[in-house]
Amino acid sequence: MNNAIEIDGSIGEGGGQVLRSSLSLSMFLKQPFTIKNIRAGRPRPGLMRQHITAVKAAAKICNAKVKGAEISSLKIEFYPGKVQSGTYKFDVGSAGSTTLVLQTLLPVLMVADGTTEISLSGGTHNQYSPPLDFLVNSYLRQINKMGPKVSVDLTAYGFYPVGAGMFTVKIDPAKELKQIEILSRGKNISKKAFAYSSKINEEIGENEMKIVAKKFGWLKENCKSVMVESPGPGNVVLLIDENEHTTEVFTGFGRKQYSLKKVVADAITEYTEYIQSEVPVYKYLADQMIIPMILAGAGRFITSEPSLHTLTNIKVVKKFLEVDISINQLNQNQWQVDISSKK
Amino acid sequence: MKNILISLLGTTLDKGFKENRWERWRPSVAICQHEDLLIDEYHLLFPTKFLRLANRISKDINIVSPETKVILHQLDFKDAWDFEEVYTGLLDFLEHFDFHKEEDHYLFNITTGTHVAQICIYLLTESRRFPGDLIQTSPVKLNVAGSYSIIDLDLSKYDKIAARYARESKDDITFLKSGIETKNKKFNELIERIELVALRTKDPILLTGPTGAGKSRLARRIFELKKLKASVKGKFVEIECGTIRGDAAMSALFGHKKGAFTGAVSDRPGLLKTADKGIVFLDEIGELGLDEQVMLLRAIEEKKFFSVGADKESESDFQLICGTNRDLHQRVKVGLFREDLLARINLWTFKLPGLSDRPEDIEPNIEYELKRYAEKTGDVIRFNKEARSAFLNFAASTDAKWEANFRDLNGAIIRLCTLALGGRITIDILNEEIKRLKSLWDTDKFNHKDELKDKYGHIIDIEQYDLFDRIQLKEVLKICNKSKSLSDAGRKLFAVSRLEKASANDSDRLKKYLAKFNLTWDSVARMN
Repeated sequence: MNNAIEIDGSIGEGGGQVLRSSLSLSMFLKQPFTIKNIRAGRPRPGLMRQHITAVKAAAKICNAKVKGAEISSLKIEFYPGKVQSGTYKFDVGSAGSTTLVLQTLLPVLMVADGTTEISLSGGTHNQYSPPLDFLVNSYLRQINKMGPKVSVDLTAYGFYPVGAGMFTVKIDPAKELKQIEILSRGKNISKKAFAYSSKINEEIGENEMKIVAKKFGWLKENCKSVMVESPGPGNVVLLIDENEHTTEVFTGFGRKQYSLKKVVADAITEYTEYIQSEVPVYKYLADQMIIPMILAGAGRFITSEPSLHTLTNIKVVKKFLEVDISINQLNQNQWQVDISSKK
Repeated sequence: MKNILISLLGTTLDKGFKENRWERWRPSVAICQHEDLLIDEYHLLFPTKFLRLANRISKDINIVSPETKVILHQLDFKDAWDFEEVYTGLLDFLEHFDFHKEEDHYLFNITTGTHVAQICIYLLTESRRFPGDLIQTSPVKLNVAGSYSIIDLDLSKYDKIAARYARESKDDITFLKSGIETKNKKFNELIERIELVALRTKDPILLTGPTGAGKSRLARRIFELKKLKASVKGKFVEIECGTIRGDAAMSALFGHKKGAFTGAVSDRPGLLKTADKGIVFLDEIGELGLDEQVMLLRAIEEKKFFSVGADKESESDFQLICGTNRDLHQRVKVGLFREDLLARINLWTFKLPGLSDRPEDIEPNIEYELKRYAEKTGDVIRFNKEARSAFLNFAASTDAKWEANFRDLNGAIIRLCTLALGGRITIDILNEEIKRLKSLWDTDKFNHKDELKDKYGHIIDIEQYDLFDRIQLKEVLKICNKSKSLSDAGRKLFAVSRLEKASANDSDRLKKYLAKFNLTWDSVARMN
């Protein structure tokens, strides 16, 4: 076994992101690592169930040896083995997020030696992680530009707190990852809004869509309220801005004792911020693109002021690889991130 | 290490089949919705008629926590509020449960079930029939998962409680020391240990140490401390065994029935009975007669004894504290103390040091005695500076024998205070007292009180006689011990006066003399 890299889990945002990014890089690079101080500053420090699920899923895919994957553990050791493409099924449970698990596994499977199909069940739309719609429309669109073909087939939504959504991801890998850059949005293709609801009064979604249509003057057929299949109740509002080079998704999450106006307003606030900034890559996509671009050897994008998550990912990447990552402010609202590996 | 949960279905709180059930806190499901708690195995106990609900809950647990394996167990109570039935039912379940204490962590959910069930769960956990911890869940606004806390019944694991106990224990130790801030390390450690033991045990405690070392005071403080902690309910009864003899001793300790002997004009419960659920302090236990020792041993072991003249046994649940300044093992060797009784009372033995072994504690004890004097008389008396340092110097010197230890110190302070004019103890008053103390200790040497007491203390109460009588008695007994028979001793003792008598009645004279002290030739001769 190689010498393991040591990661301090308290760097940057100091949460689960450090762990997930380390897992992605470790699997891809076959580089063992140990991570200590996991979530050290949090009210309940150490590994939580969703992190353990991610670690175990990662370990399964690359036959890794793992030490310390227990609840509240502050330290784990991860020794990746050979990556195995094929069919997998991971049950994430209600509190965890399937999208975060998928993101962790994806990089290595994009260049694996065969097609992989992963069935995931658990939460798909929860306030504290990227909703599946973002993953599919925004993130996977960029990933697919890099060579692999990744598609998602959703059979059930999993809203917080019940979760239990279900979807299958199919990953046709590429031989190697193409380098991409996202420097402008390009022409706008569509602007759409969706209200997905389950086991609640249908009018809620309809009213949400009315507010959106009225606010932006969008056509009624582009603002759809849909009752979706899900074991538990839930509601989410999505604004999707599709352009020539990028798609961005903005979300408002319905929850108990939270008015539909507020749900809509949450999505609109993010959308407006994005539109006004004129950047092609909104903050959520920005932090997701760091690792794929590094693994492709280089990449470049323009975004708004880098978030703590983005900076955290950069710090983690630098632990695993010799890279040049420069961040230059172009104007009041725009920053350009240039990534290239030194090899 | 797996988390294995046992939980009763909440037939009210867990209710619900409609979609909106997800919006409510359902304890049996919510316990599986925590990010930092993974239940690997979930044993859900349910009444047969709630099978449908149990299945629903089981499926819902599987949705929110696919990692959790739910195992359903039918458990019916005719009356879920019947303590005996519920306890037995749960105990049966636990007895058939395959626990792997070393490998897995067990939790019992105390949130659901009737209050009776909750009490039973607590009792089963506390008595370790359930070898795990309790888990309590509760609803939280806007969060269906609610909150949970694992309750470990080992209270020392809780910092705040432990800190509080430590503080209380410190208070208890101060209490045992009568508030005297003693500095002697050994003595302080001893008291700490006594505090620890006294609050935990109902077994006999033996306090040894020289006369006046404070055995009696300590015994009373132990009782008062236990009373404060509600670990004794009864009275504190104290007796010095040297002061009771024969029938009187029997009746004093064990009581008597009216008419049991001449003088028994009414029923008397006896000290042991009086101390039911309390504490008996038997000081100078070495002086107790052999017959009483037998009775006492049985009273300790079986909590039962016969009162004099009674045909029914009395019962008394008392804790025994014994005091002695003698070497009881030595007494056992010479047949004056029963070995089995010693073994029984020798479980917790604490040796109190004399005052001269704790020179650093003389000053705080002086302060204590001055305070006591002030409390008793209302006169606040102080040493002047010169007198204080002179007294401390003397007290710690080899001149100060402190033969009766704290009793001597107490006497000295009372005399000093009484003689102090204007609330001040001056060097003159002190010097006078030092002389008095020195001569007291010298006198004690002359009268050989202790030699007599050591040898015959168990059969006569030396201290009730004047020194005048004691000196004579001692010499008489010495001759008796050297003589072959009563008449032989009589001849020696009355060698002069017998010459003037027509008939020699030496034996009779000696017999009568000894009888004055409740002694017989046999009891004296046995001492040889």
